Amino acid sequence: MKKLLLSGMLAAALFFAGCDGTSDPALPPSSDFTVTFKALYDGQTLEKFKSYDYDTYKVNFSRFNTFLSDITLLKGNEEIKISDIEWVDFTPDSAFGNLTVSVPVKFKNVPDGDYTGIRIGYGVKPELNAKRPNNFQSTHPLSRENEYWLGWGSYIFNKVEGKADLDNSGAFGTSLVYHCGSDAVYRTYTFNTPIQVEQGAAATVEFDLKKLFTINGSWFDMKIPANQFTSNDVGNVIVATILMDNFDAATTVIQ
Amino acid sequence: MKKNNAGWTFKISTFSAVLLIFLMLDACKKDDPPVEDRDDDLVAIPYNPKSYTIPKPEIFPEVPVPPDNPVTVDGIQLGRRLFYDPILSADSTQSCATCHLSSGSFTDNKDVSTGIDGIAGRRSSMSLLNVAYVSRPLFWDGRSPSLEDQALRPVEDPIEMHNTWANVLDKLKTHASYPAYFRQAFGITSRKQITKELAAKAIAQFERILISSGNSKFDRYLAGDPDALDDEELDGKLMFFDEGGLLGLPDAQCFHCHGGITNTGFSFFNNGLDSVASLNDFKDKGRGEVTGNINDNGRFATPTLRNVALSAPYMHDGRFNTLEDVVEHYSKNGKGVSNEDPLIRQLGFPIPGTNPVKYSGLTEYQKKAIVKFLHTLTDIDFVNNPDINNPF
Repeated sequence: MKKLLLSGMLAAALFFAGCDGTSDPALPPSSDFTVTFKALYDGQTLEKFKSYDYDTYKVNFSRFNTFLSDITLLKGNEEIKISDIEWVDFTPDSAFGNLTVSVPVKFKNVPDGDYTGIRIGYGVKPELNAKRPNNFQSTHPLSRENEYWLGWGSYIFNKVEGKADLDNSGAFGTSLVYHCGSDAVYRTYTFNTPIQVEQGAAATVEFDLKKLFTINGSWFDMKIPANQFTSNDVGNVIVATILMDNFDAATTVIQ
Repeated sequence: MKKNNAGWTFKISTFSAVLLIFLMLDACKKDDPPVEDRDDDLVAIPYNPKSYTIPKPEIFPEVPVPPDNPVTVDGIQLGRRLFYDPILSADSTQSCATCHLSSGSFTDNKDVSTGIDGIAGRRSSMSLLNVAYVSRPLFWDGRSPSLEDQALRPVEDPIEMHNTWANVLDKLKTHASYPAYFRQAFGITSRKQITKELAAKAIAQFERILISSGNSKFDRYLAGDPDALDDEELDGKLMFFDEGGLLGLPDAQCFHCHGGITNTGFSFFNNGLDSVASLNDFKDKGRGEVTGNINDNGRFATPTLRNVALSAPYMHDGRFNTLEDVVEHYSKNGKGVSNEDPLIRQLGFPIPGTNPVKYSGLTEYQKKAIVKFLHTLTDIDFVNNPDINNPF
């Protein structure tokens, strides 16, 4: 009798030890899927304060961060949303060097499969942009009150800051400040890059600032004073619209 | 006789037994470790941790609390005592509160702080108001990643408390009250378990409750009282948050670095204070001392502007005595140093036809309005809150 009982307990223990989220036959297999976000300039890792050739002059960059919403994997008519919101900071204070940091984000329990593409919302989707930092727990990306603009009633979707040396004097005397925000400039883009999710799967999403500031094949003219910053008037989103409309061209998805 | 003999025998035996017991007890006493060396000398003291929800104004975000140092009533009380107790300094003359006085919104209102040996430090003490919300590394140069780490440092800093943690722990362990307070806060069973890490955790818990009351004029305005600010203060607010363009007011760009409802700084900036020939020439390299990155030289943390009118003088070295001086500084161009923040430039409206664009500067009224707005951030209820003041 004891042997029988022990055998039963052992069998039960083995049965439960074998159970995890991926092996339950009732659930489709799933894996952790890591997407690494990177900031580039002209195909190379973006470097803070580095002098980059730009049109006939030079530019440098000192800050780049962005919110991304509703990151969704696509498979025919099927959509698997893997994130509501992410905040990706390529220039955190915790990074001591000049190279911008890559930001890996692990999405857990993504159904395995062959996906046909990925859709990304650039900025904070209106549903979440209607809220304020005090609506979120302190660990939530949208609790960042420094990324919220009271005057706009909007999160600052992204920040790109730097300077230009317009006369090639060696002095970067012209400030470049691009802070985009408000529902009017929220954009979603789809990238038809085949993505296979399986155990250990990963992908890379790159944002190239040279491409961001190349509008339909032409340089975004930073010599024009109005192009050196995004307006602080929420009714004037001309520059913000130009940049947000061009973020798809600045983005490359790789697996 | 026999009976009497038996009685004497009994008495002698009883006396011998009692004497033996006394001798045994005495021997036991000599063998027992001193109370401070026992592993359970505090177990008789009740340990009933009560979690504490840090009060905050409704419009403020949730106060961040790290999972490995939850805030408790007894933890806060211990931290408060340690914060105000000069026991931490080598000569027992200075406490944390010496440089962080509640009346100065937890600054000492000096250009630079002075330690127990009378040696002046290099930098001004930073306000601790709303420090729980600070997401960047702490201190002017960001050398500390957390409040728990920060609280460890002044004790052994030779120009601050100039002590050692070994000395502090000796004093705490033999103190009449602190072992019990540590027991109540952290559940330790013996005074031997008092560590500098627990002391720092307690201080961090106390610092985390230093949150605005929500009763400043600006808070009342944000809460929906349009009359909380007068016209001049409102103009200042519009310029501070870059919202006044349609009303003919220039952007003062303040909120980019002092953003959000808590106006708490989130990063490190070269805010155009010093003209240097090269980035190596900053007298105080600030963030660069920590990172070793030349582009971080001359960059310093942005402090909160809450209660800024109470926390003069200003900047990391206290070089500006008044808010008028500060606004005057920011209304002008920077010094043209390569790592100056892009937002450091002369304020005002663009002057048509200039390229590179030049700006008109602020009028005297506009500067005054910004200063008046900064005064609306004053929170007297916070500094007068008895729960955060000296418990001794």
